[in-house]
Amino acid sequence: MRLNKIIRHALNMVLHAKLRSWLTILGIVIGVGAVISIVSLGETMQKQISSQLGDLGGDLLTLRAGASRASFFGPGREGGGGGASAVSTEDEIVLDKTDLQVLKSVSGIKSIDTQISGQADIYYVAEKGSASVVGVEEATWATVTTSKIAEGRMLGPADTNVIVVGGRIADGFFSRQVGLNQLITIEDRLFRIVGILDDTSSSIYMPIDSAYAILEDKDKDEFDTIIIQVKDEDAINSTMASIEYKLAQKRHVLGKKYDFTLTSNKAVQAQRSEMMGSMTTFLTAIAAVALLVGAVGIANTMFTSVLEKTKEIGIMKAIGARNSDILKIFLIHAALIGLIGGILGLALGYILSGILPSLMSSSGGGPFSRFGSGDAIISLNSVVLAIGISVIIGIVAGTIPAVQASKLKPVDALRYE
Amino acid sequence: MKDNNNRLPLVSLNDVWKIYRMGEVDVPALRGATVDIYKGEFVAIIGQSGSGKSTMMNMVGCLDMPSRGTVMLKSHDISKLSESDLSTLRGKAVGFIFQQYNLIQNMTAFENVMLPLEFLEIDEHEAQAKARKVLESVGLHDKMYHLPSQLSGGQQQRVSIARSLVTDPEIILADEPTGALDSVTGREVLSTLQTLWKKEGKTIIMVTHDLNLARYAQKHVELKDGKVVDIRENNNIIYSDKR
Repeated sequence: MRLNKIIRHALNMVLHAKLRSWLTILGIVIGVGAVISIVSLGETMQKQISSQLGDLGGDLLTLRAGASRASFFGPGREGGGGGASAVSTEDEIVLDKTDLQVLKSVSGIKSIDTQISGQADIYYVAEKGSASVVGVEEATWATVTTSKIAEGRMLGPADTNVIVVGGRIADGFFSRQVGLNQLITIEDRLFRIVGILDDTSSSIYMPIDSAYAILEDKDKDEFDTIIIQVKDEDAINSTMASIEYKLAQKRHVLGKKYDFTLTSNKAVQAQRSEMMGSMTTFLTAIAAVALLVGAVGIANTMFTSVLEKTKEIGIMKAIGARNSDILKIFLIHAALIGLIGGILGLALGYILSGILPSLMSSSGGGPFSRFGSGDAIISLNSVVLAIGISVIIGIVAGTIPAVQASKLKPVDALRYE
Repeated sequence: MKDNNNRLPLVSLNDVWKIYRMGEVDVPALRGATVDIYKGEFVAIIGQSGSGKSTMMNMVGCLDMPSRGTVMLKSHDISKLSESDLSTLRGKAVGFIFQQYNLIQNMTAFENVMLPLEFLEIDEHEAQAKARKVLESVGLHDKMYHLPSQLSGGQQQRVSIARSLVTDPEIILADEPTGALDSVTGREVLSTLQTLWKKEGKTIIMVTHDLNLARYAQKHVELKDGKVVDIRENNNIIYSDKR
C-alpha cells in the first residue's frame, strides 16, 4: 500500500476515535509542554548569564577581606560598580592601604578601585528614604565599573560633593522625579547629581572620601572591597595567583587559610551557569517523566485500538492487505498522535516559557529572581527535538500493538466480535 | 487431477485436515477432504452447521492453513507461500462476499470498494475508474458516497459484491451470501452471482446450508462431520430471469 494511503487510513483512525485520541494527545501535550518550557527557561537563563558575564567584564577581580564563603548566588555586582554589600564581618580582618600598596606592586594590573559601602538616609524635597551608598575611587571607577550612564557623566578625578545615582533613585524612589544637577541630602551633607545610571538600582555612588564622611562606621583607609582590572584577560589566572601570593605574604597567611577572598567575575558566572545547567537538567528529567506517562497513554490507546479494529484488520487481510500494510497503518497512527501532541505541546511550552520566568521571579525569586525579564528562548533545536521525540515516542509506544495487529491471523480476526 | 477436458483444477484440496486445539482436546473440523474445483464452475458447498463448510472456504481463500494435506490455488501450494505472497494471491485471485457484508463502517461505499485496489497499489485514477464502474454495475451509482450505515442490507451486500469484483478475481467466494437478507434481495444476490458465472466466466464457490440456494449452483459438494460425502452435478439449476 502506498504511503499516502497509509497516512490517510491512519488519520482516519485518529479522527474516528476522537475522544480517546484527544485524551492520549493531551498526555503528550503536557509532557512536551513541560519539557519545552523548562528547556526554554534554562536556555533563557543561560543566555542572560552569558550576557551578564559580558556586561560584568571578564577582566575584573574582586578582593574582599575574610575567608572565602562559597555562594553560587552571592551578592555579585549587578546594578553597580561592585561590592554593593559589605562583606567583611570580621572586624579585625580588613583591607587597608598596605594591601593597596601590595596590589600596586603586582604587574598585570591595569587599574584599582577601592570601595566602601553602607546604608544611609537620603532626603529630597521633604521626603526621606534609605539607600545604599557606595564610595568609589573617583579617578578609576569610570573605567572599572560595568554600569552604563544614561544621563550626565560618571564620577571623575577631583570630583567632590557630587554623586551618580541608580535609575530607581532618579525615577520611582521619591514621588517626584530626580534629575541631573538636582541636590540631594545624604545624612547631613548636600550632594549634586552629575549622572544617572542606566539601571534599576537604588544605589548612590560618590567619591570615597565623601563616603567616609557619610558612613561613620567606616575607618579611613580601610576598604570593604577592592575591584581590580587586569591588563590581559587571558592571563587573569596567573595575575590572580600572583596577587594571592603577594597578599598572603604581606598578611602572613602564606601556607595557611587565607584571610581574604579574591574572586573573578568570570568564575562566579561560570559557577552560576553550571548550577543553572544542573538545575535545568534536573527539571527536564522530571518533565521527561510526564512524557513517559504520555507514551504509556499512547501504548494503551493503541492496544485498545487494535482490539477495537480486530475485525477490520481481518477484513483488510481478506481483501489483500499484507502484514506490513497493517503494521504501517498502526505505526503511523501512533506517530500521528505523537506528532499532533508534539506540535500542540510546543505551543503550550512556548506559552509556559513566557509565563514561568515572571511567575518564578514574582514568587520570591531565589536564583530565578534575576531572570524575571526578557523574552523566552525556544531554539530551533528544541522545536525539532520536541516534535522528533514526540513522533519517536509515538512509534515506540505503538510498535508492540502494531506488531500484534499485523500478526493477527485473518481467519481469527474475521471471527472477532 | 485433470478433468475430462484435460484442465487442471483452479482449486484443489487433497486429503485436507484441519484440527483445532480446544484446551486439551483436538477437534477436527475437516477430515481428509479432497475436492477439485475447475475454472468457470459454480460450486455450492453444502452441509449442516458444523460440517466444516466455513473451514473449507477459509482454506480455499487462503485465510487459514491446513493442519495436514495440501491446498492448491492456481497451482500454488498455499502452505508454501510467504505471508506477503499469500496476501497478494488473495488480493488478486479471490473476491470475498461475506454473510454480514464485512464493510468498514467509517468508509463510504466507494472507499470500501477502492480498498483492495489500494493494497495492490493500482494507479489512483485507474482505481477510481474501476471502483466507479463496478459500483455502477451493481446498481449503486447514486449511493457511492454513502456510509454502510446509510445503506440497506441488500445495498451493503451489493457493495460487498462490488468490492469482491473490483480486482477482477477469477474466484468469488461467497459465505452464506443471502443469510442476512430477505428472500427478494437474496434472490437478487444469487442472480448477480449467476450472471458473474454465466456471463463473465467467474468461478463461484458458495457456502450455504440452504439446499434451495444450492439449486442455483452447477455443482454440489456436500460435507458431513468434516468429510466430503458427496460431489454431484446439479442437473436442475434454477436460473434467475433477472440480469
